[in-house]
Amino acid sequence: MARLDENLSKQNKVKAIEEMIQIVLLRIPKEVEAMHFYKKAAEKSTTKEAQELFLSLAQQEKGHEAELRRILQDLKEELKNIKGDLS
Amino acid sequence: MKREDVRNYNGEDGKPAYIIYDGKVYDVTESRLWKKGKHMGRHKAGEDMTSFISMAPHDARVLEKVKYVCDLEDDELVEEKNEKLRAFYRKYHPHPIFIHYPMGILYFGAFMLLLWILTGNKSFELSSYYGLIAGTLSVYPAILSGLLSWYINYEKTLTVIFKNKLIFSGLLVVISTIISVLRIFLGDMLFESNLYYLYIIGYFLTIPVMTFIAYNGGRITWPD
Repeated sequence: MARLDENLSKQNKVKAIEEMIQIVLLRIPKEVEAMHFYKKAAEKSTTKEAQELFLSLAQQEKGHEAELRRILQDLKEELKNIKGDLS
Repeated sequence: MKREDVRNYNGEDGKPAYIIYDGKVYDVTESRLWKKGKHMGRHKAGEDMTSFISMAPHDARVLEKVKYVCDLEDDELVEEKNEKLRAFYRKYHPHPIFIHYPMGILYFGAFMLLLWILTGNKSFELSSYYGLIAGTLSVYPAILSGLLSWYINYEKTLTVIFKNKLIFSGLLVVISTIISVLRIFLGDMLFESNLYYLYIIGYFLTIPVMTFIAYNGGRITWPD
């Protein structure tokens, strides 16, 4: 019985992680798009201040992308481990 | 030092902890913030920290406090190779272009088929036939460009949305191809056989199948 409960709890966790993977995964291209948008805006900027602002925003989006990719990797590893335990 | 060499210096099992920043390799083994190769429970030694700096509460000057090891040898990241494909995709965005063809043509064809059933006017049936052929042919570039997008933008990760899209795209190919073959090879004989019902049901079935694929595509573009 305890084993069954444990498996159920793990299955719920699998579902939760899979949902998290989807959320993070769908966000990554948005960050990439935003980064390219700001880079383009920086190239078109007519003042140094505007250019610096857009480059800084592009850098932040790059950071978001990198952070999301790191989280995605961790989630995938966690999912693999839990699925390994279930089988 | 190459990128894959640095990966071995992960600070685990007594190994030194190296990190990459802006093409340079740094030794953070002695840093109290990099115990056992882990930094703030998030970052691992052996990896490239360049992109993370904008998210950090410190700037790159913090690296002045650690030991510089060497410059990274010229390398081409897998990420950079994918970036070329992504640049192509960003410029031409083939999937959003190609999906409109099967959507428009098969919806139109199904409507023509409905008009033929209601009126008996053969011209409507012919229109639906041509719509079916054009629509079926246009399904392939839509799916191929979708697979390209899945590969470069989503690392072929299989989530519920992508599973739905893959399964129902396969179903759409099967249905539209089978009914096209039936209509091409049987011609008007089709309407005198029992396969007529299969043809009609198959044709109308492409509509909910395509709509479901499009709905899942919408969930990718506008995640809830």
